[in-house]
Amino acid sequence: MDRPTTAFSRFRADRAAFSAALALIALALFAFAGPSLAPLAYDKAYPDYVKAAPSWRAHPHADEALTALQSVADHMHVTVASSTPQNGALAATLTASRPIDPRLLAYFPRSDAFGEAKVAATRDDGKTLDIVAALKPIPLYAGADANGRDLLARMMVGARISFIVGALGSAVAVLIGVAYGAVAGYAGGRVDAVMMRAVDALYALPFIFFVILLVAFFGRRFELIFLAIGAVEWLDMARLVRGQTLSLKRREFVAAAEAMGVAPLDILKRHIVPNLIGAVAAFLAVLAPRVILLESFLSFLGLGVQEPLTSLGALIADGAHNLEDAPWLALLPSALLSAILFAFNILAAGLSDAFDPRSRR
Amino acid sequence: MLRALATRFLSMLATLLAVVTGAFFLMRAAPGGPFDLERPLDPAVLENLRRIYRLDEPLWRQYLDYLGSLLRFDFGPSYFWRDISVNELFANAIPVSARLAALAILLALVVGALAGAFAASRARSKTDVAVTAAASVGVTLPNFVVAPALQLVFGLWLRWLPTGGWGDGALKNLILPVATLALPQIAVIARLTRAAMIEALAGPAARTAQAYGLPSRVILGRAFRSALLPLISYLGPASAALLTGSVVVETIFGLPGLGRYFVEAALNRDYTLAMGTVVMVAAVVIAVNALVDVAYAFVDPRIRHG
Repeated sequence: MDRPTTAFSRFRADRAAFSAALALIALALFAFAGPSLAPLAYDKAYPDYVKAAPSWRAHPHADEALTALQSVADHMHVTVASSTPQNGALAATLTASRPIDPRLLAYFPRSDAFGEAKVAATRDDGKTLDIVAALKPIPLYAGADANGRDLLARMMVGARISFIVGALGSAVAVLIGVAYGAVAGYAGGRVDAVMMRAVDALYALPFIFFVILLVAFFGRRFELIFLAIGAVEWLDMARLVRGQTLSLKRREFVAAAEAMGVAPLDILKRHIVPNLIGAVAAFLAVLAPRVILLESFLSFLGLGVQEPLTSLGALIADGAHNLEDAPWLALLPSALLSAILFAFNILAAGLSDAFDPRSRR
Repeated sequence: MLRALATRFLSMLATLLAVVTGAFFLMRAAPGGPFDLERPLDPAVLENLRRIYRLDEPLWRQYLDYLGSLLRFDFGPSYFWRDISVNELFANAIPVSARLAALAILLALVVGALAGAFAASRARSKTDVAVTAAASVGVTLPNFVVAPALQLVFGLWLRWLPTGGWGDGALKNLILPVATLALPQIAVIARLTRAAMIEALAGPAARTAQAYGLPSRVILGRAFRSALLPLISYLGPASAALLTGSVVVETIFGLPGLGRYFVEAALNRDYTLAMGTVVMVAAVVIAVNALVDVAYAFVDPRIRHG
């Protein structure tokens, strides 16, 4: 059998990596297009549906409509004599010892279960009202959190934060790592030794503790989060770029540029860095999930983006507090985060195989 | 050899000094202090507090004072828990975190090395594929995903184990946190062992042993010895990973360890406690890395005699 020759065709032939790439595109669509397509807003609370379980049918379910009707009747100081469900509405007969003011029907839309209610018939000098209350359909496909907010919309927004932080944090790490690694590799000799010894020393430090301090003390601002994460994750990038630069600088085109008297900084910019793009891009698939994981870790500790905005880590933390009566609040965001991380990891393995066929498993 | 050890020790001290300096000035640069409460304190009271905690002295004095007290292993008073010193908090917290970390790395070494060796002994079989797949799951799943899942299954559904609490370190309270901490380490160690053993088994030494007709048990044992080097050098990063993991695990399972105190200290702006924890954690990780280097030199003759 012919071995595919170009990096892309090798990648295309790797079924696992190719489907991981497709899955990531689908997840990104879920995160970025989802919030505008989702039926409910991520920050709107429905107090009637606190910790509602995931359900394909829109709320209110039949029993919830009856409970809501009873609660509205209590506010109106009337009794529910009978009720019959209709298509998309609830017909009911309300009675009281005095005439019922039809304006009291304004209580219906205040409930999460009902829209407008209309009087169908008035009997007993107004002491009995036949009403028809429209049901307000609220689809909670993934259930609702402890404040009655739609978990599906919140997961979309959380995944969006993950992707954005993943992209920005990786960009910061790439900027620092490429600059540092390229300078160290190109300078070589003692400068290189000192710079890489510093990287080795930094490797040994538990940086996450510093990031926690930074974010806790300087405010939980979005910019700070991805800057801090990027400032931690550049070490591997610097090592990779230095190694590539070492081999690039022995190539003829660099020697030619040096012979023509091009300044070292210009050689770096025009000849070294552009040739690093392939390796750096492949390494992004390794870097991005690490950044996403670190952001979720911070959010889990309550140090990430703040309410009402949310992140997958914050959702999992909320879910962990409600494990007993609403386990899906932890399980669904956990599954989403794991899916994103898995897809990146499989993609990264596929990319490294595609760009370096010698390392084939 | 002795010279190398001395250099290593000096660079260890230099790194630690850099950590202390970084942590100190990071804290002092942070806006807001530990005494910024909802209701502002009386200026006279604030003045007294600042004098007691020596916050009124020049910055360089405070820095030197802190370095001096660190040399005496004195981390100062906690800013948040007013009557308790950081040392007293550490005395309670460190045994908890140390026990968790020690049990986790022990479990990870035993299970990970066994699984890795088993997979390597039948490379490319179904068992090997299963171990490799399980390892990549273990590496990918974050501990704050694993911990609630374990709590849910073993704590709430099966009701075999408590979902949290220290319980004076009772075994049943330790199982879930240790399992959560160990899981990613098991996965990494299994991968390292498998890769190193497969390489060794493909090498000329293993082929010669096979040609001599040595039993496969002996050949595997020798191959495992070559996996020891990557395992030893992994202990450095593992110690950092375990301490970081303890932050999540102790928070989720409500254990009174260093990681949980650290998160609370950071949130409460308890400068001395947070700074002390960073210094402590960095010291442990740096020390483990240095020990690993030394152990490496003892195990690997190329380095010992080189």
